[in-house]
Amino acid sequence: MIAAVGACLSVALVVGDAGAFTVNITARNPRTIYLQVGVGTFTGGTYNAGGSPANNPTVNVVSVNVPAAQIGSGAAQAMTTNSTASQSLYDNFTFCNLPGQLYIGGFYRSTSNSGAATLSATSPANLVNSTGNTIPFTQIRWTSSGIGDTGAQPFPAGAFVGGVQTIGSISRNQWAESCHSFSYSNSAVVAAGTYTGRVTYTLSAP
Amino acid sequence: MSAFASALVGLVVLAVPPGAAAETFRVDDTAALPSETTALLRWRDFAPSGGAQETLEGSIAVAVRLNLTAVLNRTGRLYLVLPKQGTTPVRVSWATQGRLLPGEIAPGLRTLVYQGPVTNPYLEETLALRIEADGNHLPGMQRLDFFFEFDAD
Repeated sequence: MIAAVGACLSVALVVGDAGAFTVNITARNPRTIYLQVGVGTFTGGTYNAGGSPANNPTVNVVSVNVPAAQIGSGAAQAMTTNSTASQSLYDNFTFCNLPGQLYIGGFYRSTSNSGAATLSATSPANLVNSTGNTIPFTQIRWTSSGIGDTGAQPFPAGAFVGGVQTIGSISRNQWAESCHSFSYSNSAVVAAGTYTGRVTYTLSAP
Repeated sequence: MSAFASALVGLVVLAVPPGAAAETFRVDDTAALPSETTALLRWRDFAPSGGAQETLEGSIAVAVRLNLTAVLNRTGRLYLVLPKQGTTPVRVSWATQGRLLPGEIAPGLRTLVYQGPVTNPYLEETLALRIEADGNHLPGMQRLDFFFEFDAD
């Protein structure tokens, strides 16, 4: 009986008048994304060295010179890039072979599980030369790989559609990268000239 | 069944030293004031590491003024308590100006911040909290409700 009374007294003391202080926490930047097509910039070293992504306005070129005797032969012509990005800025690992491959990589951070970030590409219908002759952008395709990679690529092989298309995705809180080897299908005879067109890659977070 | 219960009560009574009145007091800390209403946490690493744990971290100072009148002239141990709450795994560590002990805590635990006699009715201290949270599980705002309790000898 005495023991029971003591227990009741102790409980009453614990829940006596008192306050508490509250700290609310939230993420300053719940979502961040980084996309690099060709060359990119990290300040302070690679990510592994504590570096941070920075803006790099460079637009790299992927091109091919088709010999006159090969024009329209149907033999695909491998393209090369002026990009100097062979190493991943994640850890400086040599990931792409130059000049035959274009580095494409980035990351997506989010505190909410609302899906993956999507990488899309927007290409015009045609490449155009100075006199207005055209080559359909669908004549350009790519394979995808990465040195040391054995599984599926996050940005797999494909061909431009002359419009907006999905290139791949980056899962939440992941870094993804691939090396694209472009080629010109060379399936039609076209007038001589330099044909150009720009593809814009966009990484969109949900 | 009845006999077993009686034996257990008897054992408890014997375990309490004669004259001792160990009590736990919830300390009045209503004057505690965080420097900001919300601690904004940044990604520890700007880019993902590829690991399962993605840490957000941040800091905030809390000016603490504890009313210890209820335990004045008693000896015991003062704890900072962080009850279980929310769904985000967090870990909080803190530095002090020396009147309380530095330490760290996770939800559901309490950490010793002072041991000894209480000779002043009020104790003022600034806790520099460093908060780490799992960025995979912090979709919005989360409250962390702390309080102090005193185990008197």
